[in-house]
Parts: sequence; C-alpha cells; structure tokens
Amino acid sequence: MKLNLLIAPDFAPERFAGWHMLNTALQRKSGLHIHLLTPASAAEQNKLIEDGKVDVVYANPFDAAAMIREQGFTAIARPIDKPDEMVIATGADSPLNEVEDLEAGQVIALTDNKDVKLIGLRLMEVADLVEDDIEWQMAENYQAVARMIISGDAHAGFFLAEAWHSLSNLSKSRMKMLIESKLADISHVLLTHPRMADSVPAFKDALLGLSGDTDGQQVLDSLGIEKGFEPMEQEDAEFMIDLMETLLD
Amino acid sequence: MTNSARPFAEMLPPMNPADDAVHEHELTYFDGSSRKVHISQREIPYPKGRLIISRTDLNSIITHANDAFVELSGYTREELIGQPQCILRHPDMPRAIYQSLWETLAGDGRPKWHGYIKNLNKDGSHYWVYATAVQNKRDGKVVGYTSVRREMSRSKIDEMTAKYKEMIAAEGGG
Repeated sequence: MKLNLLIAPDFAPERFAGWHMLNTALQRKSGLHIHLLTPASAAEQNKLIEDGKVDVVYANPFDAAAMIREQGFTAIARPIDKPDEMVIATGADSPLNEVEDLEAGQVIALTDNKDVKLIGLRLMEVADLVEDDIEWQMAENYQAVARMIISGDAHAGFFLAEAWHSLSNLSKSRMKMLIESKLADISHVLLTHPRMADSVPAFKDALLGLSGDTDGQQVLDSLGIEKGFEPMEQEDAEFMIDLMETLLD
Repeated sequence: MTNSARPFAEMLPPMNPADDAVHEHELTYFDGSSRKVHISQREIPYPKGRLIISRTDLNSIITHANDAFVELSGYTREELIGQPQCILRHPDMPRAIYQSLWETLAGDGRPKWHGYIKNLNKDGSHYWVYATAVQNKRDGKVVGYTSVRREMSRSKIDEMTAKYKEMIAAEGGG
C-alpha cells in the first residue's frame, strides 16, 4: 500500500530538503511505501485532503482541529519542544517599542500563515486593536515581510517565530521585536487517516525511532526538530483543540 | 510572599506600602457559600505573550494548571490541583459574572463563554485577564471545562473596574 504524507505548506523553504530526507528515512525504517506531498498553499492542501489523497499529514494546529473533529483523522505524534510561536517586529528606528504602541490605521506586513495571524491578533488585543483596524499587507514570504519593515513600507510585521530567528543577523539588526508569543501548548501534529490504521504502528515506530540513531538525528536536525517526535494521545489532541477554540475570537 | 519568590519578580512594580497592605474580606459566592480571603491593592502585570490555562472537572475542581498559571497565582501546582476554581475569586468580581459563566457552559452544542476577570493571588495581589471557557466534550459527553486567559488592555481594565464596582453595589456588596 502506498501512503501519501502531506506536509502543511507553512514550513520554512530551507527545510524542504529535510522533509524529503524524512520521507526517505521513514520508508527505510518502516518498509512502507510513502509518497511525499508538499502543497504550495492551504487551498492546495485542502483539495488533496478533500479528494481523499492524504493518509498522513503534518498539520498546523488550527487545520488539525478540523481534520480531527470533522474528517476523522487521529493524532499520533508531535515534535518535542517545538511549539508554534510568532513574533511581531518593527523597524529598528521605529517609535514603536511595545505592542501597546501599535495604532489603528497602521500597516502590518504578513504572509498567508493564518495561525501566525490569529495569534498575532490575540497579542494585539492589549492595544485595543481588532482585525479591521489594521491595513494588512500580504507578502510572499518572511524575507519579504522583513524588507517591508526595513524599507518603512510597513509599520510592523508578523513572523513565524522560527522564521524570525532564522533571519540573518543583518536583517534582525535593522528591526526590533515588539513581542514574541510564548503559548507553549500549541504545535504542529502528525495525523493519520483511519484508512491507514494497519500501517500506523510501523509508521509511528519509524518516526519515534529517528532520534535513536545518527542518520535519524541528521534528518531531525535538518528539519529543525532536534529533539525528535513524541507520541500523542487522542486526549492530548483534544486538549489542544479545546485550547485553540478559545483563541478563535 | 516577597518579589524574589515569584518567577515574574522582574516584571513586578516596586513595592508600595499603600497598595501592598493586606486586609481580610468575607467573600460570598453566588451559591451563597462564603470564605475569608486576604486582599491587597497590588496588581501583578500579565506575563507578556503567554496564556494562562486551567482545566476543571464538572464540579469546578482544578485538574490542570499550566506553568504561567502556577507562577502568576503564587500557589504551587500541588496547592492548586484539587482546589475549586473559585479559589481565584476576587471580592471585586460581581457574582453575576460567574453565574453567567456557568449558565453559558451548561448550554448545548459547543458553548463558549468570554469575560473579563480580576483574579486573586495567594498573597492577596491580583491580575486582570480576558478569559474564555469552553466545555471539554469527549464522545459527545461533557467531561470538564478548559479556561484560557490572555492579556487585556489597560483601557479595558479601567472600564471593567468601574463597571464591576457598579454591579457589586447593585448586588449589595462583595
């Protein structure tokens, strides 16, 4: 049986090779035939899932909620100590020094990562700001968000924390961070579809066993998931979904 | 408790004898029960970027408290787990707010309650939060509740302080 493994489209471009290395390692360790799917957008991801072409998915937390509750996926694992966090930053010389300084009518640059936007909106509540107060400026990627901030085209920008921290020192020196979320309990998760139930034990063993050997560790390092994956029970996933439910409004 | 004992010590405002003076207060809950609490006027700033998370069982007994909750409250995790959620109830909170919380959560479907809350710490200080509470539904059955709190703006704190004062006066005291 061939399994389709879909990686949510919000991964950093420099991790692309790492996901292919993971796919190769999982096949070798599990003996399963796994095909990697790397959709370029959320729309493409949703289409693949709706068409029933996805057996395993490395899902962002907000999509995972719908996949579990509405499409019958089961959570089997999550990355260790790798919560999804975001950063709001402004220009180094900006008069803004904290989130409370943001004002209605200002321009905020962001990518199409909806998790980052949602968490960012929650963090901006301290400034009494809601979505409609802001002029949103879409950017292709986080480097473009940084450029818009540095050039003064945006008052501030939203970053996936991992993307912010992997910007060059030069870029970061021309900006300043207003806030970094520390939600801690929300992360990407690995979900499996019921149709691959028979293959789950082999897949899960291969995934959790990556941190046990040198080759596997190399794969994890290339993904930026240095500590590997830990098993996730359905209740862990339900807890995370309950938590995210509270952040939606 | 001294500042140094609290992990958020670096964020705390300087000691102020007027704010830090602790006095005893008899607190009456909306179900008519009461207990004595110690309160001061000292406000603890909300920890930036974090969420305060707790879960309770169906009887409102705390079953889970995340690190931010434990650190801010001044209690140890062991002291919090097994206690009723109302251990956090501040006398400046109107009873009607909690009544609305529990009435909402008793609803069908996937009810969600939002509200502004002033929580009481172990040492009598307090912090303000915007709280959201949802049912924990498993296999169609409610097995408990999750409450997630986040930071609210200073203008909202001022607004709710005034509003709750009026509500408490209308309720006939705290």
